[in-house]
Amino acid sequence: MHSPLLMTTTLLIIFALLINPLLLTFTPSPLPNRWHSTSVKNSVKMAFFTSLIPLFLFLDKGTETIITTWSWMNLMTFDISISLKFDLYSITFIPVALYVTWSILEFASWYMHSDPYINRFFKYLLMFLIAMIVLVTANNMFQLFIGWEGVGIMSFLLIGWWYARADANTAALQAVLYNRIGDIGLILAMAWIAMNLNSWEITQVFTLASNQDLTLPLVGLILAATGKSAQFGLHPWLPSAMEGPTPVSALLHSSTMVVAGIFLLIRLNPLMEQNPLTQTLCLCLGALTTLFTALCALTQNDIKKIVAFSTSSQLGLMMVTLGLNQPQLAFLHICTHAFFKAMLFLCSGSIIHALNDEQDIRKMGGMHQLTPFTSSSLTLGSLALTGTPFLAGFFSKDAIIESLNTSYLNAWALVLTLVATSLTAIYSLRLTFFVTMGHPRFNPLSPINENNPMVINPIKRLAWGSMAAGLLITSNILPIKLPVMTMPTPIKLAAIIVTIIGLLIALELALITSKQHTALPKRSPYLFSNMLGFFPTIIHRLPTKLSMILGQNIATQTVDLAWLEKVGPKASTLLNLPLITTTSNAQKGAIKTFLMFFTLTIMLTLPSLL
Amino acid sequence: MPFFRQTYCDTTQSVNMAVVGLRRWAQALSKGRRSGISPFLSGSRAASGPLKSELPGSYPSTPEQKAAAAKKYNLRVEDYEPYADKGEGYGDYPKLPDRSQHERDPWYQWDHRDLRRNWGEPLHWDFDMYIRNRVDTSPTPLSWSTMCKQLFGFIGFMLFMFYLGEKFPSYQPVAPKQYPYNNLYLEKGGDPEKQPEEVKNYEI
Repeated sequence: MHSPLLMTTTLLIIFALLINPLLLTFTPSPLPNRWHSTSVKNSVKMAFFTSLIPLFLFLDKGTETIITTWSWMNLMTFDISISLKFDLYSITFIPVALYVTWSILEFASWYMHSDPYINRFFKYLLMFLIAMIVLVTANNMFQLFIGWEGVGIMSFLLIGWWYARADANTAALQAVLYNRIGDIGLILAMAWIAMNLNSWEITQVFTLASNQDLTLPLVGLILAATGKSAQFGLHPWLPSAMEGPTPVSALLHSSTMVVAGIFLLIRLNPLMEQNPLTQTLCLCLGALTTLFTALCALTQNDIKKIVAFSTSSQLGLMMVTLGLNQPQLAFLHICTHAFFKAMLFLCSGSIIHALNDEQDIRKMGGMHQLTPFTSSSLTLGSLALTGTPFLAGFFSKDAIIESLNTSYLNAWALVLTLVATSLTAIYSLRLTFFVTMGHPRFNPLSPINENNPMVINPIKRLAWGSMAAGLLITSNILPIKLPVMTMPTPIKLAAIIVTIIGLLIALELALITSKQHTALPKRSPYLFSNMLGFFPTIIHRLPTKLSMILGQNIATQTVDLAWLEKVGPKASTLLNLPLITTTSNAQKGAIKTFLMFFTLTIMLTLPSLL
Repeated sequence: MPFFRQTYCDTTQSVNMAVVGLRRWAQALSKGRRSGISPFLSGSRAASGPLKSELPGSYPSTPEQKAAAAKKYNLRVEDYEPYADKGEGYGDYPKLPDRSQHERDPWYQWDHRDLRRNWGEPLHWDFDMYIRNRVDTSPTPLSWSTMCKQLFGFIGFMLFMFYLGEKFPSYQPVAPKQYPYNNLYLEKGGDPEKQPEEVKNYEI
């Protein structure tokens, strides 16, 4: 069979399947009530099964394809066309994203069923998915930028879904502003590439950039990834984004959108390979992010915030992997992380709804007796997150830590990453302990049950993914870079040892909690962790206040003051006044004396003239 | 003030519009606040905008002016405090406490729920900065200086440790450590008279 043709056809079918439900929304007639589940969810499901064909073609034959369709802009020698690249990364990511989205859409049909605008919600989610696929398959920077901005805008609309809530509006605004700061970096990189390499096609960029100093565009790209993937410095928007509905958190802010920054760096990794400065920057930034956000996750009480910080920590780990010059490992972690993180969010959503919209883990407990399947999935997801052997997270996380331990790198980055791995185990156990174990700390409510297949089936699918995805992907895809095969046994077991230490510490702390040895934790480190390192408190108050007061002053007072008093009429008055005073003071007014002298001079000189 | 229903144009309603306009002129002429030709020309202007006495004025120097300004801004005379007269153009606008809307009671039934403000309440000069989407002045558990010290101290510590980590990187050794001077024969207490055996670390 002609595999490139088959591949190209199936890929274009996927696009058509996803865009089809949106076309119906452009007609004036109202959408059918069940449009969200009949049209949107089914099209995503079909797109997923269709996307398996290119995946199997790739796994079997190694077929990759670049589809260049429409020549958009031709400016002298600079061409931009719609160009879709289907290589290892996009061919593997698309089925993963579609599988996760299918599960989340099915769950969202249940979660959002009482929302009057559910059709619009699904439309937004579908638009987001299309933008994400445009981003992932982009073969030129312009198309990538379109996808980049598209996911940013949909994130804004979805976080602020309940727009009557001021906190949701603030969170959406925060997401947009922090992403915008990152976009400065992306635009800087694009401008540099356009000016110096005269092309935005990624393959051409790789060829042309081999002898150039790429520090500036790479720093721009790292800034873009910092904004989009919530690295330290531009991270506060991610926990705030939990204001949005749980399906939004599951899809955007754990599996797909937030990995866009990491994906960008993976795509453009050949540019980074010869630049040790940017690799060190990625390494250190990622290590700092993973530790800081893991520290913050330790003391959070909102179930969604814990999972959000966990996402941020794993994104830091992906950044560390990029700093190790291992883009494929980072990509593997993206794929495996998508499964168990989405499952964690869906389980959280199910528990929240079951407890009548209670999100505080201090008011949960005993869910294992009440919702055994959901709590088991929560535990499974947490185990996969901590890197329990042979679950999905193990294959990626263990490989990353092995590669970390056997590389020549910044020792502090290594220490931070290992500590963060241990902290991952601690907050995961804390989450599981507070939610599923012990006795319920809430009043008996209307019956809590798990009899709705729209909830159970998605979680089940993602649970299978969390168990099998790591094994399937590593078995079928050959590593591009040779992994280090020989290392001392303690180094090999370092990840497990550190995780077990974390689990034991967490268990010990959990026992202390139930025996109530001390009334309150030590204030200072607890507050540092609980208030997110005081980063949002300081950064959202001081610079904002200063710039807004400055703006207000300039607009209302300084402009008028300048134009009327310092530069305009009053200034000319002030300048002219000394001149006028001097000139008038010079006039003594003795006109008769002047005339007399004038006449005398004339009379004295006149005879000589005559 | 007469209440005018907005009618969106339709040819059948244009006559209605003309009648409404005529009514406005008549009412403006009889009760209009602005004198002269303007209410005659555009009767709709008479019902718009604050009066001159309602607009902010110049800095109040006498107690009577202060009392009038307090009444204008719907404040008690004891609560009214204008900005200092430093030529910055504040006039008689009241200086309200720099507290944001986050600090107001979230459960009280405000007239404007999202703004947490009642009708007629004086607006802070920086009200647009103090809404719930912008700056929050809520009290923090720790003082500002302590928070700054902790955050920037943490960041500074991390940067310093990263610098040290660059100086002393971590790596896996690929061969045993090699020492010069015949494996440090003399330093290890070897006999200086005896000839030490040659140590060959590697062959090229």
